[in-house]
Amino acid sequence: MNDNTPVVFVVDDDDSVRRALVRLIGSAGYRVKDFGSALAFLACEPLTDCAACLVLDVRLPDLNGLELQRRLNGASATLPIIFITGYGDIPMTVSAMKAGAADFLAKPVSDVDLLGAIESALGRSDEALASRSEIDAIHRRLGRLTPREREVLSLIVKGLLNKQVACELGTVEKTIKVHRARVMEKMEVHSLAELVRISDKAGIIARDQAPASAQQ
Amino acid sequence: MTIVHAVAVVEAVFIALLPALLLRRRGAQQAADEGGPYLASAAGSSAAPRYGIRGMLRDRWKPLGGRFAMLPVGRLRRIGARNGRGDRTAQGREALYGMPSPMPLDDQFRDTLERLPLAILIANADGRIELVNAVTEKLFGYARAEMIGLAADMLVPGMSGADAGRGVLTNGGPSAPAAEPPSVMLPLFARRKDGSRFLADVALNVISSEHTRLKLAVVIDRTDRYELQRNRQELAHLTRVSALGELAASLAHELNQPLTAILSNVQAAQRFMMSDPINLDEVREILQDLVEDNNRASEILRRIRALVKKGELELVPLSLASVIGDVALLVHSDAIVRAVRVSLDVDPGLPLVRGDKVQLQQVVLNLLLNAFDAMEGGTGQDREVAVSASLEPAGMVRIAVRDRGPGLTSDRLEQIFKPFYTSKRDGLGLGLSISRSIVEMHGGRIWAENNADCGATFHFTLPTGDAAATGRSTTST
Repeated sequence: MNDNTPVVFVVDDDDSVRRALVRLIGSAGYRVKDFGSALAFLACEPLTDCAACLVLDVRLPDLNGLELQRRLNGASATLPIIFITGYGDIPMTVSAMKAGAADFLAKPVSDVDLLGAIESALGRSDEALASRSEIDAIHRRLGRLTPREREVLSLIVKGLLNKQVACELGTVEKTIKVHRARVMEKMEVHSLAELVRISDKAGIIARDQAPASAQQ
Repeated sequence: MTIVHAVAVVEAVFIALLPALLLRRRGAQQAADEGGPYLASAAGSSAAPRYGIRGMLRDRWKPLGGRFAMLPVGRLRRIGARNGRGDRTAQGREALYGMPSPMPLDDQFRDTLERLPLAILIANADGRIELVNAVTEKLFGYARAEMIGLAADMLVPGMSGADAGRGVLTNGGPSAPAAEPPSVMLPLFARRKDGSRFLADVALNVISSEHTRLKLAVVIDRTDRYELQRNRQELAHLTRVSALGELAASLAHELNQPLTAILSNVQAAQRFMMSDPINLDEVREILQDLVEDNNRASEILRRIRALVKKGELELVPLSLASVIGDVALLVHSDAIVRAVRVSLDVDPGLPLVRGDKVQLQQVVLNLLLNAFDAMEGGTGQDREVAVSASLEPAGMVRIAVRDRGPGLTSDRLEQIFKPFYTSKRDGLGLGLSISRSIVEMHGGRIWAENNADCGATFHFTLPTGDAAATGRSTTST
């Protein structure tokens, strides 16, 4: 087990249930961190740079599972949540799923169901992690651009031709061509389509409008 | 309630008087300093043979004419004497009956028994019925002639038993009767002529002399009282079950927890068993946990079953900590769902109380669920119910259940204990009235108060084991 082993957080107030869940999940080769209450979970630093998910009891004293989910969503955390409850009704399930729960399982939960749910939740976490690292990479590349190159980038991904960009920025087409080649090189892409895709992913297309015009 | 008590007191006095009535005669005999047969048929040693108590009375009581108060056994006291009275009465009886009775029971005695408003049976040493009165005829449905000679056991089971009855009237020295305990009332099923059985309280006394040993049974039909008591218990049971019904979902969850732990542990163990090498320590720990979770599930079931069962009242010394603890466990899940914090503050040094565990748990459960209900509309932060038990002066303990709800209006503080009064939309209005009858039956008191800050507190007191025991012994002697 190394640092990249996925982590499963378990929050349940019942000691014996928690101990059993930790054993079962541990037997599947995951790292397990358990907490007796939602507040204890929030108090620790749960963010990791490896895949992780949360197995959460709905019925908890002080702060219940659904409220914890709301708080985590509020903090825009991407931790997938698997709810387990012995007392699930339809409204509770609906509200949990609407708020983005990965799964909703009834107690007692079978190993196949639980480990299956954990696996797919970790898959989601992996994807989120991968897309986050891709976004980080894009932002790193963006950082290499000069302010002028960024202006050019934001205009060409909007679909403007070199001529139009030149007009917009009050320069000649030839200069824009040079900037454009630099942008493609620094952003490590080979086609306009690719540039548009990564710009979209990093949220540049929408986000860059305001700062770009503000700078002018 | 009061009428039942009054009737019981009157009956108790009758029962207590009967043996004294018999002793009165023997007392007279002893006072005359004469031995010899007292109840035997060959009674007199004087020239003219005399029969029965009446004969004895005429011979032996005349010189004394003793009059004794009809007090319970052990308190027999001569309180006065008047000459001639006994003789005159005896003669009057002889005129009435025409001739002396061939039975070892004299006419005056028979006449007295006949007039008693209680069913009386007297059986001889063979367990055959010798004498009954009018009430017995009516109660058992036999004609008098049918009953004479019948085995007494047919009517009152156990009547012919060797040690039946504790109130043995011996023919010993003057102090002997004082040493004998008074007869006890035993509840048992008596049998009518048609074979039907009915609950009755039976007091058995043995009247013994050198020659005879008679057994006297006083039978009191208890059908009505048992019916009343059963109805009350039935009602208490019903409200208990209905309270548990409200908790059903939470109780299911409470049971589900150990089941969840057991399943996950077993499946983890199965996975450990497949690995190589097998982590035996881990498996051992799992097995230990399985046992514990299993115990936990059975413990929850035991508590539920105890509250659901329809048992007879059982007064035993109880620890309030366990009474309150058991109930707290049952409402644990319900409290979490309703976002209520329950705090317990039970003085561990509290003396035991004497009571019926199920009924006292019912009171605590009722007060806790009421407290939860009271805070239904409140905000999450203040939802707290505090249960405390502490020692009060005069050998009482006080249990208090304090909520932080809206409290009660002053007119409700008293009203809520009345039957069918409810402030809940789907309440029966019986919980608190039953709680009150339970607490009062235990010799305590229940009341409600508004707190100074917010919410209400329900208090009830119970006598501690010492106080309860003293209270009982003073009433029984």
